[in-house]
Amino acid sequence: MFEAMIDPTARPATSATGAALAPRPARLAGLTVGLLANTKKNAEPFLDEVGELLTAEYGVRNLVRRKKLDIAKTAPAEMRAELADACDVVVVGVGDCGSCSASAVADGLELEAAGVPAVVICSEAFAATADAMADLKGAKGYGYTRTPHPVAPLERGEVRERARRILPDLVGILTGRATAAA
Amino acid sequence: MTDVAADTERLDYARAAVEHAYDEGWTDGLPIVPATAGLVEEFLAATPRPPEEVIAAAPQLDRECTVEQAAVNAAMAGCRPEYFPVVLAAWDALMAQPVVTGGGWQSTSGPAPLIIVNGPIRAELGINSTGGVLGPGFRANATIARSIGLVVRNVLGIRPHELEQATQGLPGRWTLCVGENEEESPWEPLSVELGLAPGTNAVSALLLRTCEFVDNRHTTDPEELLWDFCDTAARTGTAIGRFSSAGLVLGVEHAQLFAGNGFSKADVQQWLYDHAIRSHADLERAGKGLEDRDAPGIDEYGLHMTPSPEQIPVIVAGARNAAMSMVVRPFGFRGWTRTAHPL
Repeated sequence: MFEAMIDPTARPATSATGAALAPRPARLAGLTVGLLANTKKNAEPFLDEVGELLTAEYGVRNLVRRKKLDIAKTAPAEMRAELADACDVVVVGVGDCGSCSASAVADGLELEAAGVPAVVICSEAFAATADAMADLKGAKGYGYTRTPHPVAPLERGEVRERARRILPDLVGILTGRATAAA
Repeated sequence: MTDVAADTERLDYARAAVEHAYDEGWTDGLPIVPATAGLVEEFLAATPRPPEEVIAAAPQLDRECTVEQAAVNAAMAGCRPEYFPVVLAAWDALMAQPVVTGGGWQSTSGPAPLIIVNGPIRAELGINSTGGVLGPGFRANATIARSIGLVVRNVLGIRPHELEQATQGLPGRWTLCVGENEEESPWEPLSVELGLAPGTNAVSALLLRTCEFVDNRHTTDPEELLWDFCDTAARTGTAIGRFSSAGLVLGVEHAQLFAGNGFSKADVQQWLYDHAIRSHADLERAGKGLEDRDAPGIDEYGLHMTPSPEQIPVIVAGARNAAMSMVVRPFGFRGWTRTAHPL
C-alpha cells in the first residue's frame, strides 16, 4: 500500500556509507595532542585543563591549540589539515549547544578520516544530537566523552574537576581501550 | 457496493494514507496531504525554476533541498500549487540569513521563521494581511509557513530531539507567514523600503524567538506610545548582551498614529534604538551585568537592546479595529540581511 505516496525525506547523504576510524596509539606518552576548541563559553579553558592533565599524567609532549569561529560548521579544511599534520591525536570540544555538539562530532569524524584519532567532549544534554550526527555520517555508535550539563557557568576550578573526571574515558577512546565505533 | 459504502472505503484509505505518513515520521504532528507524482507535477508547473535546482541546504549535515523536494513537502503541507513561487521565494529569503546557514534550525532557541509577503500576490492567493494575521484560519498563510518546517524536518533531516535541540521551542514555529497590510499602512511596503519597485511580489524572512503584545489604546501621543513599546523591547529577559534585538509588527492604528504625527518608519526605528536601553543596575539586578562597558552597543547608561536602527524590522499587519501591536524578537548574532526576494 501507498507505493504512490512520495517519500519526502532526503536520501541518505553520500558520506553515510560507513566512516573509518583512525588506528589508535597504544599510549599517549611522547605524542602531540591537538586541542580543537569552539567559541562556546568554557570550551577553551576545558581543553586547556585537559591538555595540562594529559601532559602531567600521561606524558604528552606537545599541545597544539586551534579555535574554530563558526560553531555550527566543521573547522575550516586548512585548520583540520594543520591539526592532522601536526598532531598524533586531537581532542575536540565542547559540544554544548544544538548545532555545535553535532558539528563537534563531525569534526571528530573528519579528523578520523584524515587518519588522526579524535575524541569529542560533549555535554550530556546534547548527546542525542551528537548521536544523530554520528549516525548521519555513517558512524553510528561513535564514541565521545560526556560531561554533565551545564558547562558554560562553571568556574575555572570546576572546569578543572570536570576535565579530571572525563580523563580516563577520554584517554580510553584515544588509545582504543574504549569502544570507539560499533 | 452502495455509493456510501464505496465512499467510506475511499475515505478510510485516505485516513490510512495519513497514518502511513505518521508511521514513517514524515509529519510535524499534524496530518499531511499524501503527495503523488501528479500533484508534485502541478507544483513544478507553477514555477519556471528547474526541479533539480538547490533552494535550501544544511552543508554541515551534507543536506540539500531541491525545488522538487520542496514541492513534495509543500504539497504535503497543504499548499495549493499556485502558492509554490511564494514558498521558493521564502527559501531564497531564509537562505540569505546568516542565522539560517549558521545552524539556526538546530538551535536551543528553537526559532520560528517569520515570512513577510508584499505585492498583489497577497490578494491573488488569499494571504491574510488584516485581522488575525498572526493567527490561524487562512490556508495560504498556514501552509506556506508549514511547508518550511516540513523541509527542515524531512529534507534537511533536522528533527526534534535529534539534530533539533530546541529547549522549549515557541508557539508559532512553522505558522508565521503574514501579508503586510500595504493597503492601510501609512508607509511604503517593506519590500520597497528594502529596494524593490512598488508592486513587486516579494518575500522577506527572518527568524524570531517570540512575539509579545503591546496593547495601547490609551494614548494618542506618539512618544508615549513609543515608550510603551520601549518597555517591552528593553525587558531584561531578552537581554543577551549586544546580540539583543527587537522589531515591530505594528497594528494599523499604531502605525497611523505615528505617521499622523509626522513619524516615518526610520524615525520610529531611530527613536526605539535611542531609547530601548536597559540600565546596568537593572541588568545587574537580573544577574546579567556586563563586564566590558566599551563593547558595541554598551555605554555608561546601559545596554542598547537593538543592534542599530536599521536592524529593527518594522512591518504593518493586522486589522484597523484596535490599537495593538507585537514586539518581535529577531534571532541571530549576525543580524538580518534587510533583503526582499522577488517571486
